[in-house]
Amino acid sequence: MALKVPADLEKEIDKRITHYPESKRSAVLPVLHEVQSHFGYISEDAVVWVAKKLELEPIRVLEVVTFYPGFRQKPVGKHHIRVCRTLSCAMAGSAELMEEFCKKAKIDRSKVSHHDPIAVSEDGQYSIEFAECLAGCGTGPVCMINDDFHEEVGTDKLEEILKNCD
Amino acid sequence: MIQIAKDKTAYIDGTPHLIGEGESLLNFIDRHKGRGHVPTLCDAPQLEPYGACRVCSVEVALEVDGPRRTVASCHTPLTPGLHIFTESEKVNDLRRNIVELVLTDHPLDCLTCEVNGNCELQSVAAKVGIREVRYPQGRNHLDRKKDLSHPYMTSDLSKCINCSRCVRACDEIQGQFVLSMHGRGFDSRIIKGFDTSFEDSDCVSCGACSQACPTSAISDIFQSKSIEATNHTRTVCTYCGVGCNLEVATKGNEVLSIQAPPNAETNGAHTCLKGRYAFRFYNHPDRLRSPLIRREGKLVEATWEEAYDHIAENLNRILKDSGPDAIAGISSARCTNEENYLMQKFIRAVIGTNNIDCCARVCHSPTAEGMQRSFGTGAATNSIDDINETECMLVVGANPTQGHPVTGARIKQRAMKGIPLIIIDPREIEITPYAKHHLQLRPGTNVALLNMFSYYILEAGLVDQDFVERRCENWEELEAGLKSLDLDEIEKLTGVDRQEVKAAAIEYASAKGAMSFHGLGVTEHSQGAKTVMLIANLAMMTGNIGRRGVGVNPLRGQNNVQGAADMGAQPHQGAGYLDVTDPKIQAHYEEYYGAKVSGEIGYKIPEMFEAARNGDLKSLWLMGEDVVQTDPNSEAVRAAMANLDFLVVQEIFMTETAQYANVILPASSFLEKSGTFTNGERRIQRVNAAVEPLEGTKPDGQIMVEIMNRMGYEQSACTPEGTLAEVAGIVPFFAGATWEGLGDNGKQWPIQEGCESTTILHTESFKRGLGKFHFIEFKESSEIEDNREQFPFILTTGRLLEHYNCGTMTRRTRNSEIVSKDVLTINPVDAEVKKICSGDHLRIFSARGEVTLEAEVSEEVKPGILFTTFHFPEHMVNNITSDVHDGDTMCPEYKVTSVDVEKV
Ligand code: SF4
Ligand code: SF4
Ligand code: SF4
Ligand code: FES
Ligand code: FES
Repeated sequence: MALKVPADLEKEIDKRITHYPESKRSAVLPVLHEVQSHFGYISEDAVVWVAKKLELEPIRVLEVVTFYPGFRQKPVGKHHIRVCRTLSCAMAGSAELMEEFCKKAKIDRSKVSHHDPIAVSEDGQYSIEFAECLAGCGTGPVCMINDDFHEEVGTDKLEEILKNCD
Repeated sequence: MIQIAKDKTAYIDGTPHLIGEGESLLNFIDRHKGRGHVPTLCDAPQLEPYGACRVCSVEVALEVDGPRRTVASCHTPLTPGLHIFTESEKVNDLRRNIVELVLTDHPLDCLTCEVNGNCELQSVAAKVGIREVRYPQGRNHLDRKKDLSHPYMTSDLSKCINCSRCVRACDEIQGQFVLSMHGRGFDSRIIKGFDTSFEDSDCVSCGACSQACPTSAISDIFQSKSIEATNHTRTVCTYCGVGCNLEVATKGNEVLSIQAPPNAETNGAHTCLKGRYAFRFYNHPDRLRSPLIRREGKLVEATWEEAYDHIAENLNRILKDSGPDAIAGISSARCTNEENYLMQKFIRAVIGTNNIDCCARVCHSPTAEGMQRSFGTGAATNSIDDINETECMLVVGANPTQGHPVTGARIKQRAMKGIPLIIIDPREIEITPYAKHHLQLRPGTNVALLNMFSYYILEAGLVDQDFVERRCENWEELEAGLKSLDLDEIEKLTGVDRQEVKAAAIEYASAKGAMSFHGLGVTEHSQGAKTVMLIANLAMMTGNIGRRGVGVNPLRGQNNVQGAADMGAQPHQGAGYLDVTDPKIQAHYEEYYGAKVSGEIGYKIPEMFEAARNGDLKSLWLMGEDVVQTDPNSEAVRAAMANLDFLVVQEIFMTETAQYANVILPASSFLEKSGTFTNGERRIQRVNAAVEPLEGTKPDGQIMVEIMNRMGYEQSACTPEGTLAEVAGIVPFFAGATWEGLGDNGKQWPIQEGCESTTILHTESFKRGLGKFHFIEFKESSEIEDNREQFPFILTTGRLLEHYNCGTMTRRTRNSEIVSKDVLTINPVDAEVKKICSGDHLRIFSARGEVTLEAEVSEEVKPGILFTTFHFPEHMVNNITSDVHDGDTMCPEYKVTSVDVEKV
């Protein structure tokens, strides 16, 4: 099934590509970001679509997607939570934070691995993964839910944060 | 001591050496100290430098005692005056540590590994001096599953060392982009396609990755890298006209596997799956192993003596009753030069007729004819290697990645480097996405389109006047003709927008050097030879002749179709293209052969069938050709075979045609004989027997000699040296060719003094003196004129990578597990009207007959056009093709048949 790309997204992508006049190949990262932020993840069809757009072989795009953990190959939940686990946040309790999030949002993280770091709740509402430093080290532990940034997230705040998601 | 200039030297471990242009440190060291002096893992000579493993590390310094730096030699460019230290303690330690770390994640079961003894990891480990791995076993990938899904390719990625050689081989050699490195760091691993198996990926099983892989991580079912073989024989592929060199590994009298010799000039370390993997037909149980004679209607086994007696008796009878012209022979472009030479000599000198032809008739006879008329010789003007230097490629009526895979891959690689590619073809083919221009014309309108193409070169003022004036004649006729063209009409006929044609024409004419390639989509038409002349016009009017990277380069179909014609397997020209009607030449042949020869032009293949049907031709001798399957209008060919008094067939398998034979002689395959093949770039290459002839069979050349002797003509034995010497004595452009002199890579004719090659023809003047322009008017094929009302679709045909012509050989290999049927391609628009879906069974019918094929709905073809391959005789596609022929050479018009189609 071919990917259905809305006209305005395609326009934006075409614009991005013009920033790389030497070789369209160089536009692969920005284009993938656009695709991921629209669709939530990068499907096989999306890889094929991007490859065609950039006049590349699909595998040349796929290898980039698999190289960066920031690119996702599977759909995430409606609300995607990224918990920082770098030093300051780790010391401020990101492990506990993660555990609490999972409990509250009913997410099973037992199957995640280095190359499949995201776990999704059964109802598809929430998904979660660890992230590296989110640049809020003084106010750890921090997390991001979709594009919203949350600081000093004590486990007591979770209920409210999750509720405010909707 | 010779004084060497400072700016041209660098030092290896203190000794100065001359540097070569563009060398890396590793190239430089390899050249002076031998490959292997510096160990390598990720580098391979056939691939671009990569720099992944660092095993090739060396120390470098600007002064001999200066500070040193460690660099990977394989991808570091060499600078003059550099001091390189290849064996310092530091680099030795570094290399040892690297390899040791690699080994921590490698199964240490060498003794049971298929490449034991021929593993680069093993030899590098030995070279850097690893005795044990000091690290405890940690996380590893030893439990990765093998992939045995594919008929040929295998992988066991627990043996993978992540060198990426396979990935680069697939990208840089084949251009298929099947493999990649997935993920990152410790978790990175090789994947195929979207992380599937070989079977489900787009892999075309060329084997380049397997050959490039330093371990057994990627291999094939024949375990080509194992050291089980006791013997290796270099020979030449028997399939297509690319002429890939092969290295055949044997043990006793059995072929184990085939690889590509890395130093082969024609193909480097590349082949397609036919050359490398499709060899198991050679000892297939179906091979004919005894002569058969028809007695009381049945073919029964006989001895060679009985067969020869029977043949001699019958041929003598026919000679006596009906004269030599009642006998004809069809030689084989699959056999060696020597065998073709002997076959035509048998027909000409022993029987005494010029009724000799070969399968070039049904493929490239129009090329030979057309190029002879334009240039004076029918062969490719340039070499395939010129692709590396050309600035523009024009592909007309050819599907090179399927028909000529190794050349096709090179064209694709060149196009991927940004060199403009122009395709003139009715179909979207594999290389179309890489093309800058695709002129998708209606089949049968090549002449109209090329006229328009030439017109726009003229209009744009891009004619190379100087070349035209100095080197050519008859320009005025062409110029006047082009000016009189009706472009509206042409646009309508071809279905191609004139602006597209104009852009492509300007691209071709303004390139510094443009090479054209053409295939059977040019020749197999009613105006086949004329189309070739138009392609020749294009090259001449733009001065694209006589230098590197230009020219007219027919992609010759069969492995030795060039050679068969060179040897005289055609009715109007004898060995070396000499005119048989010229009394002086007749005398020359008579003197050389010591026998009378005829001065009358003989029958071409279609004329033979005609004569057989009306009773003029009594006997036919077929060397390895299944005419019932492969010639058009099968019913008429069957009638011809049935009407013959005496049919002799020399074959390796029982065929449809052989069913009609009075005598069948079991021949040997290419793996069992020695001689020479001439590839599409005029390269005469040595074929060496890898195994003894299968019991009961004889090489075709030996059969010819024995029958000649039996018929009372004294012919010396067919040996590689001896028969080649005889050929060289009569074929002018072979003069000076010797078996020894041909060497490993063969030589391109005309042979120069000292058995040297001619890589480019017509450099100073054309073979015929001046190159001749021809203006040609488009004429619609009578097939379409007569039938378009009743049969509104046009069917065109083509080939697949996996199979070879009627598949006698490839269908007896595992290639048939990859592709097992012919299908009919139809455009979605037509499919909708006719309510056809992919997979439906269709009846396709023409004025001659009908066939049933499965549908494949695809935009590869335009509406109104249908396409099919013809590899599976059970479909009998030739039941519907017409017997319209090229007006000049009688090459059949396979590419245009008026048909209609319906769902059954
Ligand atoms: S066999 Fe050829 S096409 Fe297939 S993966 Fe290897 S290099 Fe690529
Ligand atoms: S499969 Fe072979 S060639 Fe490919 S990365 Fe692994 S070891 Fe290297
Ligand atoms: S069929 Fe042609 S391309 Fe393939 S290996 Fe043989 S000569 Fe080479
Ligand atoms: S360590 Fe968590 S935001 Fe920097
Ligand atoms: S051989 Fe040079 S880095 Fe691998």
